[in-house]
Amino acid sequence: MSIILKLFVFPISLIIICLGINTILGGHITPGGGFQGGAMIAGGLIFCIIVYGLKESPFKITHNFLSGMESAGALGYVFLGLAGLFTSGFFLYNLGVDLYGITPAVFQTLFNYPDPTSAGIIPYLNYVVGIKVMVGLSAVVIAFLESDKILGENEQ
Amino acid sequence: MIFYIGPLVLGFFLGFIIGTRIKPSPESKLKFDKKVYAIVFIVAIGVAYLLGAFPYYQDIPLASGYASAIIGIIIGKLLFGRSKSSEGQIS
Repeated sequence: MSIILKLFVFPISLIIICLGINTILGGHITPGGGFQGGAMIAGGLIFCIIVYGLKESPFKITHNFLSGMESAGALGYVFLGLAGLFTSGFFLYNLGVDLYGITPAVFQTLFNYPDPTSAGIIPYLNYVVGIKVMVGLSAVVIAFLESDKILGENEQ
Repeated sequence: MIFYIGPLVLGFFLGFIIGTRIKPSPESKLKFDKKVYAIVFIVAIGVAYLLGAFPYYQDIPLASGYASAIIGIIIGKLLFGRSKSSEGQIS
Protein backbone atom coordinates (compact mmCIF):
# COMPACT_ATOMS: atom_id res chain seq x y z
CA MET A 1 0.00 0.00 0.00
CA SER A 2 1.08 3.59 -0.58
CA ILE A 3 2.73 5.64 2.13
CA ILE A 4 -0.16 8.13 2.15
CA LEU A 5 -2.59 5.38 3.06
CA LYS A 6 -0.25 4.08 5.73
CA LEU A 7 0.01 7.53 7.28
CA PHE A 8 -3.69 8.25 7.41
CA VAL A 9 -5.43 4.93 7.96
CA PHE A 10 -4.52 4.33 11.60
CA PRO A 11 -5.77 7.73 12.91
CA ILE A 12 -8.90 7.47 10.80
CA SER A 13 -9.56 3.94 12.01
CA LEU A 14 -9.49 5.25 15.61
CA ILE A 15 -12.14 7.81 14.66
CA ILE A 16 -14.24 5.09 12.99
CA ILE A 17 -13.93 2.80 16.01
CA CYS A 18 -15.12 5.58 18.34
CA LEU A 19 -18.06 6.21 16.04
CA GLY A 20 -18.90 2.50 16.25
CA ILE A 21 -18.79 2.61 20.04
CA ASN A 22 -21.05 5.68 20.01
CA THR A 23 -23.47 3.86 17.70
CA ILE A 24 -23.63 0.91 20.11
CA LEU A 25 -24.25 3.20 23.08
CA GLY A 26 -27.08 5.03 21.34
CA GLY A 27 -28.79 1.91 20.05
CA HIS A 28 -31.83 2.30 22.27
CA ILE A 29 -32.68 5.89 21.24
CA THR A 30 -31.07 6.49 17.85
CA PRO A 31 -30.76 4.43 14.66
CA GLY A 32 -28.13 1.77 15.02
CA GLY A 33 -27.35 -0.64 17.79
CA GLY A 34 -25.16 -3.57 18.60
CA PHE A 35 -24.79 -5.07 15.14
CA GLN A 36 -24.26 -1.79 13.32
CA GLY A 37 -21.82 -0.42 15.87
CA GLY A 38 -19.93 -3.70 16.06
CA ALA A 39 -19.67 -3.76 12.27
CA MET A 40 -18.27 -0.21 12.33
CA ILE A 41 -15.66 -1.14 14.92
CA ALA A 42 -14.75 -4.21 12.89
CA GLY A 43 -14.56 -1.93 9.83
CA GLY A 44 -11.94 0.20 11.59
CA LEU A 45 -9.92 -2.85 12.57
CA ILE A 46 -10.22 -4.40 9.09
CA PHE A 47 -9.20 -1.10 7.50
CA CYS A 48 -5.90 -1.26 9.41
CA ILE A 49 -5.37 -4.96 8.77
CA ILE A 50 -5.91 -4.60 5.02
CA VAL A 51 -3.64 -1.58 4.63
CA TYR A 52 -0.77 -2.54 6.95
CA GLY A 53 -1.05 -6.29 6.71
CA LEU A 54 -1.44 -8.66 9.61
CA LYS A 55 2.20 -8.44 10.74
CA GLU A 56 2.59 -4.67 10.62
CA SER A 57 -0.87 -3.69 11.77
CA PRO A 58 -0.90 -1.45 14.88
CA PHE A 59 -3.80 -3.55 16.20
CA LYS A 60 -2.39 -6.83 17.46
CA ILE A 61 -5.45 -9.05 17.43
CA THR A 62 -4.55 -12.48 18.75
CA HIS A 63 -6.57 -15.66 18.74
CA ASN A 64 -6.90 -15.54 22.54
CA PHE A 65 -8.23 -11.98 22.39
CA LEU A 66 -10.81 -12.92 19.76
CA SER A 67 -11.99 -16.01 21.60
CA GLY A 68 -12.08 -14.20 24.93
CA MET A 69 -14.14 -11.32 23.62
CA GLU A 70 -16.49 -13.63 21.73
CA SER A 71 -17.04 -15.68 24.88
CA ALA A 72 -17.56 -12.56 27.00
CA GLY A 73 -20.20 -11.27 24.57
CA ALA A 74 -22.06 -14.58 24.42
CA LEU A 75 -21.90 -15.14 28.17
CA GLY A 76 -23.06 -11.58 28.83
CA TYR A 77 -26.12 -12.13 26.65
CA VAL A 78 -26.93 -15.45 28.34
CA PHE A 79 -26.37 -13.89 31.77
CA LEU A 80 -28.85 -11.10 31.04
CA GLY A 81 -31.36 -13.65 29.79
CA LEU A 82 -30.96 -15.95 32.76
CA ALA A 83 -31.14 -13.04 35.22
CA GLY A 84 -34.60 -12.31 33.85
CA LEU A 85 -35.55 -15.98 33.92
CA PHE A 86 -34.55 -16.54 37.54
CA THR A 87 -36.10 -13.36 38.92
CA SER A 88 -39.30 -13.10 36.87
CA GLY A 89 -39.77 -16.43 35.08
CA PHE A 90 -39.25 -14.94 31.61
CA PHE A 91 -36.03 -15.31 29.64
CA LEU A 92 -34.59 -11.88 28.72
CA TYR A 93 -37.18 -10.09 30.86
CA ASN A 94 -36.31 -6.39 31.01
CA LEU A 95 -35.44 -6.19 34.68
CA GLY A 96 -34.46 -2.54 34.58
CA VAL A 97 -37.87 -1.40 33.36
CA ASP A 98 -40.01 -4.14 35.02
CA LEU A 99 -43.25 -3.40 33.16
CA TYR A 100 -45.22 -6.09 35.03
CA GLY A 101 -43.91 -5.07 38.47
CA ILE A 102 -42.93 -8.60 39.42
CA THR A 103 -39.32 -8.23 40.46
CA PRO A 104 -37.81 -6.65 43.58
CA ALA A 105 -36.80 -3.01 43.35
CA VAL A 106 -33.14 -3.86 43.88
CA PHE A 107 -33.00 -5.65 40.51
CA GLN A 108 -34.65 -2.70 38.81
CA THR A 109 -31.92 -0.45 40.16
CA LEU A 110 -29.17 -2.92 39.35
CA PHE A 111 -30.14 -3.61 35.75
CA ASN A 112 -31.32 -0.15 34.75
CA TYR A 113 -29.05 1.67 32.34
CA PRO A 114 -28.11 5.00 33.95
CA ASP A 115 -29.30 7.52 31.39
CA PRO A 116 -32.42 9.71 31.02
CA THR A 117 -34.35 7.14 28.98
CA SER A 118 -34.18 4.35 31.61
CA ALA A 119 -34.06 1.65 28.94
CA GLY A 120 -33.32 -1.22 31.31
CA ILE A 121 -31.21 -4.02 29.86
CA ILE A 122 -31.59 -3.01 26.19
CA PRO A 123 -28.31 -1.00 26.06
CA TYR A 124 -26.49 -3.86 27.77
CA LEU A 125 -27.83 -6.28 25.16
CA ASN A 126 -26.67 -3.89 22.42
CA TYR A 127 -23.27 -3.78 24.07
CA VAL A 128 -22.70 -7.54 24.22
CA VAL A 129 -24.05 -8.00 20.68
CA GLY A 130 -21.67 -5.26 19.52
CA ILE A 131 -18.71 -7.06 21.07
CA LYS A 132 -19.69 -10.33 19.40
CA VAL A 133 -20.19 -8.75 15.98
CA MET A 134 -16.91 -6.83 16.22
CA VAL A 135 -15.02 -10.02 16.95
CA GLY A 136 -16.92 -12.14 14.43
CA LEU A 137 -16.39 -9.86 11.44
CA SER A 138 -12.75 -9.22 12.33
CA ALA A 139 -12.14 -12.96 12.65
CA VAL A 140 -13.56 -13.61 9.19
CA VAL A 141 -11.17 -11.15 7.54
CA ILE A 142 -8.19 -12.39 9.56
CA ALA A 143 -9.01 -15.97 8.56
CA PHE A 144 -9.18 -14.96 4.88
CA LEU A 145 -5.84 -13.14 5.10
CA GLU A 146 -4.21 -16.14 6.71
CA SER A 147 -5.75 -18.56 4.21
CA ASP A 148 -2.58 -18.57 2.06
CA LYS A 149 -0.58 -19.83 5.00
CA ILE A 150 -3.17 -22.45 5.89
CA LEU A 151 -3.50 -23.63 2.27
CA GLY A 152 0.28 -23.74 1.92
CA GLU A 153 0.58 -25.94 4.98
CA ASN A 154 -2.09 -28.30 3.65
CA GLU A 155 -0.37 -28.61 0.25
CA GLN A 156 2.90 -29.59 1.92
CA MET B 1 -24.57 19.47 36.19
CA ILE B 2 -25.98 16.00 35.55
CA PHE B 3 -23.66 13.29 34.28
CA TYR B 4 -25.13 10.09 32.84
CA ILE B 5 -22.57 7.47 33.73
CA GLY B 6 -23.94 4.76 31.40
CA PRO B 7 -22.33 5.90 28.13
CA LEU B 8 -19.30 7.28 29.95
CA VAL B 9 -18.42 3.98 31.63
CA LEU B 10 -19.36 1.59 28.82
CA GLY B 11 -17.71 3.74 26.15
CA PHE B 12 -14.55 4.03 28.20
CA PHE B 13 -14.47 0.29 28.87
CA LEU B 14 -14.81 -0.78 25.23
CA GLY B 15 -12.33 1.88 24.12
CA PHE B 16 -9.93 0.72 26.81
CA ILE B 17 -10.12 -2.89 25.60
CA ILE B 18 -9.42 -1.85 22.02
CA GLY B 19 -6.64 0.50 23.16
CA THR B 20 -4.83 -2.36 24.86
CA ARG B 21 -4.49 -4.08 21.48
CA ILE B 22 -2.57 -1.18 19.90
CA LYS B 23 1.05 -2.20 20.02
CA PRO B 24 4.02 -1.01 17.99
CA SER B 25 5.27 -3.56 15.52
CA PRO B 26 9.05 -3.88 15.12
CA GLU B 27 8.67 -4.78 11.42
CA SER B 28 6.89 -1.54 10.54
CA LYS B 29 8.86 1.56 9.56
CA LEU B 30 5.98 3.82 10.61
CA LYS B 31 5.90 4.93 14.23
CA PHE B 32 2.79 6.50 15.69
CA ASP B 33 4.01 8.58 18.60
CA LYS B 34 2.40 10.94 21.09
CA LYS B 35 1.74 13.66 18.52
CA VAL B 36 -0.50 11.36 16.49
CA TYR B 37 -2.60 10.50 19.53
CA ALA B 38 -2.80 14.17 20.54
CA ILE B 39 -4.07 15.13 17.06
CA VAL B 40 -6.52 12.21 17.03
CA PHE B 41 -7.82 13.28 20.45
CA ILE B 42 -8.41 16.86 19.32
CA VAL B 43 -10.11 15.71 16.11
CA ALA B 44 -12.22 13.22 18.07
CA ILE B 45 -13.43 15.89 20.48
CA GLY B 46 -14.38 18.01 17.45
CA VAL B 47 -16.26 15.08 15.93
CA ALA B 48 -18.01 14.44 19.26
CA TYR B 49 -19.10 18.10 19.40
CA LEU B 50 -20.44 17.95 15.84
CA LEU B 51 -22.27 14.69 16.56
CA GLY B 52 -23.91 16.25 19.59
CA ALA B 53 -25.52 14.54 22.53
CA PHE B 54 -28.13 11.80 22.16
CA PRO B 55 -31.80 12.78 22.29
CA TYR B 56 -33.02 13.50 25.86
CA TYR B 57 -29.43 13.83 27.11
CA GLN B 58 -28.93 17.20 28.77
CA ASP B 59 -25.53 16.82 30.37
CA ILE B 60 -22.95 18.19 27.92
CA PRO B 61 -23.24 19.24 24.25
CA LEU B 62 -20.91 16.40 23.24
CA ALA B 63 -21.43 12.79 22.25
CA SER B 64 -20.29 11.62 25.69
CA GLY B 65 -19.87 7.98 24.62
CA TYR B 66 -17.65 9.06 21.73
CA ALA B 67 -15.46 11.25 23.93
CA SER B 68 -15.10 8.60 26.61
CA ALA B 69 -14.25 5.99 23.94
CA ILE B 70 -11.31 8.00 22.59
CA ILE B 71 -10.12 8.66 26.15
CA GLY B 72 -10.40 4.92 26.85
CA ILE B 73 -8.43 4.05 23.71
CA ILE B 74 -5.61 6.43 24.62
CA ILE B 75 -5.45 5.32 28.27
CA GLY B 76 -5.59 1.65 27.24
CA LYS B 77 -2.77 2.25 24.80
CA LEU B 78 -0.70 4.06 27.44
CA LEU B 79 -1.21 1.42 30.13
CA PHE B 80 -1.15 -1.88 28.25
CA GLY B 81 -0.35 -1.04 24.65
CA ARG B 82 3.41 -1.10 25.06
CA SER B 83 5.43 -4.05 23.92
CA LYS B 84 9.09 -4.79 24.08
CA SER B 85 10.72 -4.31 20.71
CA SER B 86 13.43 -6.60 19.36
CA GLU B 87 16.14 -4.46 21.00
CA GLY B 88 14.51 -4.91 24.38
CA GLN B 89 13.37 -1.28 24.58
CA ILE B 90 9.86 -0.43 25.60
CA SER B 91 8.33 1.76 22.92
